[in-house]
Amino acid sequence: MTEEKAARLVDAKALVKAIEQDDIQGEEALIEKLTANQTASVFNEVGRITREVHDTLMNFACDERLSLLAEEEMPDARDRLRYVITLSEQAANRTLNVIDEATPMAEKITDRSRRLKDELAKITQAERENPRLLSVTKTMDRYLDSTIKTGEQVKKQLTEIMMAQEFQDLSGQLLMRVIELLEQIEDKLINLLKITAPVRQKGSKTEPQQPNLDRGIGPQGYSNEKKKDVMESQDDVDDLLDSLGF
Amino acid sequence: MDRNMKILVVDDFSTMRRIIKNLLKDLGFTNIEEADDGNTALPKLKQGNFDFLVTDWNMPGMTGIDLLRAVRRDEKLKNLPVLMVTAEAKREQIIRAAKEGVNGYIVKPFNGATLKTKIDKIFERVG
Repeated sequence: MTEEKAARLVDAKALVKAIEQDDIQGEEALIEKLTANQTASVFNEVGRITREVHDTLMNFACDERLSLLAEEEMPDARDRLRYVITLSEQAANRTLNVIDEATPMAEKITDRSRRLKDELAKITQAERENPRLLSVTKTMDRYLDSTIKTGEQVKKQLTEIMMAQEFQDLSGQLLMRVIELLEQIEDKLINLLKITAPVRQKGSKTEPQQPNLDRGIGPQGYSNEKKKDVMESQDDVDDLLDSLGF
Repeated sequence: MDRNMKILVVDDFSTMRRIIKNLLKDLGFTNIEEADDGNTALPKLKQGNFDFLVTDWNMPGMTGIDLLRAVRRDEKLKNLPVLMVTAEAKREQIIRAAKEGVNGYIVKPFNGATLKTKIDKIFERVG
């Protein structure tokens, strides 16, 4: 038994005695004495945590890397992301411009071939006694058929290319979210740096750290993790709307 | 369905507005105007005798869902057919849009065939 434990036992026994003898003053004094140790340990613990928080904050405040991060690198990262949006928008618009020019061309090829095919049919009808001409019109008709088909297919492919430009909207929206997030973190970081500013020492700026490639820098694409409450396809959306009486 | 009906396409990304406009043109609709969010769309709708509204959800300024609410609250606009074309695909959001009175809901990425089906369905019902 430790000395401290023995002392507490003595106090506890004295407390029982004090209660039995209706010694209220003695009782209060002994209770205070018995709990004093516990209170002291709480104070000790709070003190220790406070010191830890203080030390951490001091280290934090003295880390030049953080102010560099908040004041230069994060705004720079935001600008870069905005630039990615601009670039992808420009690329998408260039593609759409070409499609806007090329689609009427494809339509023209189809329309003109159709009209020519009709004209040819009339001639074939009128000249059905002329076998040499008929063999020519037959070849031309086959050619026009394939041209009509090609024109239609080219138009379809152009529409497909147009739909692919949808990536610009979707990727743009994702990047905007990341930019917003960066802004929020930046604000908080700057606030924290302001609070700790008085203790910061003027030191030489540290060089921006390069990511440690050996350790890996994580996947570069957007997480494909499936989320439960997100509709995976238009069919899912339709099913949901159906269930709502749509 | 009247191919000359006046349609307003609302999306903050010009690329997407162009794509939707081209798809609508392909379906034979030529009377199309554009707006880049709810705040620019609403005055246009109030002035312009539009027959159909196609809107995105997530836009700066006024969002598509707020635009839908404003349209349904407006005495003159409340019966305007509204189709949402959006990347917002959460179950709760679709239910919310349905409750606010959306007539159709398309999730991006989408295609021309889906757009046609939804428009046909909306105007079949609206009459």
